[in-house]
Order: sequence, then structure tokens, then C-alpha cells
Amino acid sequence: MEGKLTLFELNQQIKESLSSAIPGTVWVMAEIAEMKENRNGHCYLDLAEKKGTEIIARARATIWSYTYRILKPYFESTTGQLFTQGLKVLLEVSVDYHPLYGLSLNIKDIDPAYTIGDMTLQRRETIDRLQREGVFNMNKELILPLVPQHIAIISSKTAAGYQDFVNQLENNPIGIKFHTHLFEAYMQGGEAAPSIIAALEKIFEYEDFFDAVAIIRGGGATADLSCFDQYQLALVVTQFPLPVITGIGHEKDDTIIDLVAHTRLKTPTAVAEFFIAGAEIFLEKLSRLKEKVVNIARKNLEIQQKLLENYAGALQLDVTHFIHEKNKFLVKKGSILQHEVTNFSYNKRHELSNLKHNLRSSYSHWNNEKKNKLEQQKTFLIKKTEEKIQQNQVLLSRTTLHLKNGLLRFLTKEQERINLNESKVRLLKPENVLKRGYTLTIKDKKIIKSILPLQVHDEIETRFADGKITSRIIKKDEA
Amino acid sequence: MTTKKVTYNEAVAEIEAILEKIENEEPDVDELAEKVKRVSVLLKLCKDKLLKTNEQVEQILKEMEE
Repeated sequence: MEGKLTLFELNQQIKESLSSAIPGTVWVMAEIAEMKENRNGHCYLDLAEKKGTEIIARARATIWSYTYRILKPYFESTTGQLFTQGLKVLLEVSVDYHPLYGLSLNIKDIDPAYTIGDMTLQRRETIDRLQREGVFNMNKELILPLVPQHIAIISSKTAAGYQDFVNQLENNPIGIKFHTHLFEAYMQGGEAAPSIIAALEKIFEYEDFFDAVAIIRGGGATADLSCFDQYQLALVVTQFPLPVITGIGHEKDDTIIDLVAHTRLKTPTAVAEFFIAGAEIFLEKLSRLKEKVVNIARKNLEIQQKLLENYAGALQLDVTHFIHEKNKFLVKKGSILQHEVTNFSYNKRHELSNLKHNLRSSYSHWNNEKKNKLEQQKTFLIKKTEEKIQQNQVLLSRTTLHLKNGLLRFLTKEQERINLNESKVRLLKPENVLKRGYTLTIKDKKIIKSILPLQVHDEIETRFADGKITSRIIKKDEA
Repeated sequence: MTTKKVTYNEAVAEIEAILEKIENEEPDVDELAEKVKRVSVLLKLCKDKLLKTNEQVEQILKEMEE
């Protein structure tokens, strides 16, 4: 059976070969894929190396409790980072091979500087990426409302800072009412980043209600802040529609969340003070505005009142002046009028008396003239009448005489003619005529002087001085 | 809910506009009184919002718990 080994013998050989091939210790760079502490204080790890996302090497490792007790605080206080899975570490190891348990790396020491360098590098890369993607300043560009009164809080209920923060807001000295709501999330460890993202997603549903988001966490002694450097969380924060204010409670370099947040403050207390101060400033601004408005309004009123008083004063002065002027004018006009009336009436009286005088003198003159003329005419008329009377008396006496003479002559003449006619009338008496042989023809008691009305056989009467006959016409001859 | 955010800004903007108006335009007494009244209303609105509990808001917050 030469050449044949038992498993134990083989493992024993491997162990010897390994310890002669890799004697003492070596420094190894690896990532902590998994780790757990057992109750004895030993730390069991799974180390890995990745190429991209693919694991190309893997090994178990152990930190014995007496080493772990020293290494863990040293690492954490130096890096400001929990000693936990996901970290890239530089470890001093011895390669152990146990026939029963196989290969295992025994961790003797750790170099935090390597992890810090890696973290810095990663951080740098994350920042570069966010900037490259153009989202780095997006949350900063949001406008924080004048008074953020509705605040969504992302924290852990049990976190030391949370309750203080709420108390501080509620009991602020100026009595501003803040309305807060807690959206719970893990604030450290591997679950922190996804749970904060989940909280943000929930807040997003109430985007219209809230004014701002406060991510707060009370400062622990040593804290694992690597979750706040995570790219995915940072990306969500940059693109969140509400301003994010951080108060993560650490004194070291800002995490990436701090860098991309709208406002970065150190502690929850500082965040509460920030909100209270903002409201206070606003209140002060209000009272300043109020004061200003009151002052301007008062000044305005004063100016207007003064203006009014000036107007009233000026008006009174003007009115007085006006009245005075008018009065003076009136008095002047009155005296002028009086003077003119006196003048006028004097003139008129004078004129009137002149006229009266003229009239009287004219009248007496006219009267005299008329009287004289009348007297003359009377004298003349009397003279003329007397003359006429004398003339007519002469004429009358002459005419009387003439008439007497004429009458005498006429009477004598008429006497003579009457005497003559008396003899004529005697001759012309019808009895005397009839006696002289003349007859008178009568028909129907009328004297017929012509033969024209007489017809043959008519009966006619013929008167004679001594009687009458009646005869019938036998023949008629016109002369 | 959205009105909440803008009101402070709007109120301050309106007060400032009124300030500028009464400072530069010298309004008459009636207009001035009206403006001052408006400012006092806006101030009260802001102060009430700042200092008094809003039932509606509390209700919304309560609903978030569920």
C-alpha cells in the first residue's frame, strides 16, 4: 500500500507544505463579504475579491477574540466607519490549515489607512458620478418655503436625536406651530440606505403637504456613516422634490448626503434651530413690514392733514383778503356812485331848472307874441269890420235910395201896365169874344181846339154868345 | 394643501407691493385706509398660520399613521 495516504496524512502534508511555503504573515487586500461575531467574541469573516461584479477569490478568515477586542475599536475610531461587511480592508494574515476545518486566514492586524483611502476613492467616484449626471445640485436648487412648517422627519424612533428634535420644535419660545411626521428608517448599517429611500418614497406621496424633509440622527460615539455615502441614496436625495435638510450628527467630513442636501447641518438640534430661526426671521419680517406700513401710513396721514390745514389756512386768508378787497371795492364804488348820483341829480336839477326857465321864458315870450298878434289882429279886424260896415252902410244907403227910386219907377210902370191890361182883359172876356162872332166847339164837355180827335158822325156842341147848338159831323177836311 | 406653501410668499409679496405703493404714490386717505386694512388682514393670516394649530393639518398627519 505504498504511496497511499490517509486523508489526515494528506491534510497534515498540506498543512506542512503551506506553512513552509507561506511562513509567518502576509498583507492581503480583500473585501469583507460576510462577517459575524460569536458569543465568545471571535469574529468569523468571509473574504472575497471581485472583478467587476464577479467573485474571483474567496477565503474564510477569523479574528480571535483577544485580537478582535483591540482591532475593532482601533479600526472604527480611525476610519469613522463601522467594521462591517462590504468594506475593503488590508489585513495581515497567517495562512492556517487545519486537517479538520480546512483553510482559514488568521487575521493578526488591519491597516485602516487602506480602507480610508478606498472609501475616499469611492466617495470621490460617487461625487464625480453625481456631478457627471448633472444631479449633484438639484436639491440645493429647490426653494425652501419662507416658513417650513410641515416637516417630514426621517429618523429612527429610538434614535437619541429624534425625541429631542421634536421637543425642541414643539416647545420653541416664540410659539410657532410646527407640524411634523416621522417616517422611520434605519440610521446605520447595511439596511439604512434602502430604508431611507423607502421613507423618501413614502414622503413623496405627500409631497404637496410637506415643506421640507429632515434626515436626523443623534450622534453616537462611533458611527457607521457609510450608508450616507451610498450612490443610490444620494441620487434619490438630489432628485427629491422637497428640500432635504440633514442633521446626521457627526463631526467628521460631510457624507455625500450632506453634500447633496439642500441644507447641511451637524446635529438634529441645529436642524430644529434652523427651522425655528427661519420662522422667527419671518415673524420679525412681518413685524418690520407692519411697522413700516404703520409708519408710512401715519406719515402719509400727517402730510395730508398738514396739507389740509395749510389749505384751510390759505383758504381763510384768501377769503378774508377777497372779502376785504370786495368790501373796499364796494365802498369805493359806493362813494363813486353817490358822488355820481349827486352830480347827476345836481346836473339834472340844473338842467331841469334851465329847461323850466327856458320854458317859462319861451312861454311868456310866445304868450306875449301871441297876445300882441292877437291884439293886432283884433285891432285890424275891428278896423276892417268898421270899414266894411261903413262901406256897406254907404252901399246900403245908396242901394236903398236906388231901390226906392227903382221901386217907384217900377210901381209907376206897373200902374200904367195894369191900366193897359185892364182894357185888354175886358176885350178878351169869352162873352165879349162870343159877341164878336167867335164860337166855341165842345165835345164831351171839353173844348175842342183841333179836328184831330173828331170823327165823322161824332156829336159836337157849338156855343154862341146867345146860346148853343148840337150838330152831327158830316164831313171832315184837314187844313 | 398646496395653497399653504405659497400663501406666506404671496402675503409678503402683497404687503411689500402695498408698501411700495403707499410709499411712492401717496394715496388718498380712503385708499390708504383700505390698504392698511388689507395689510392687517394679511398679517393676521400669516400669524394665525404660524402660531395656531391647524385642525386640518393635524387630521392629515393622523391619516398618515394609518
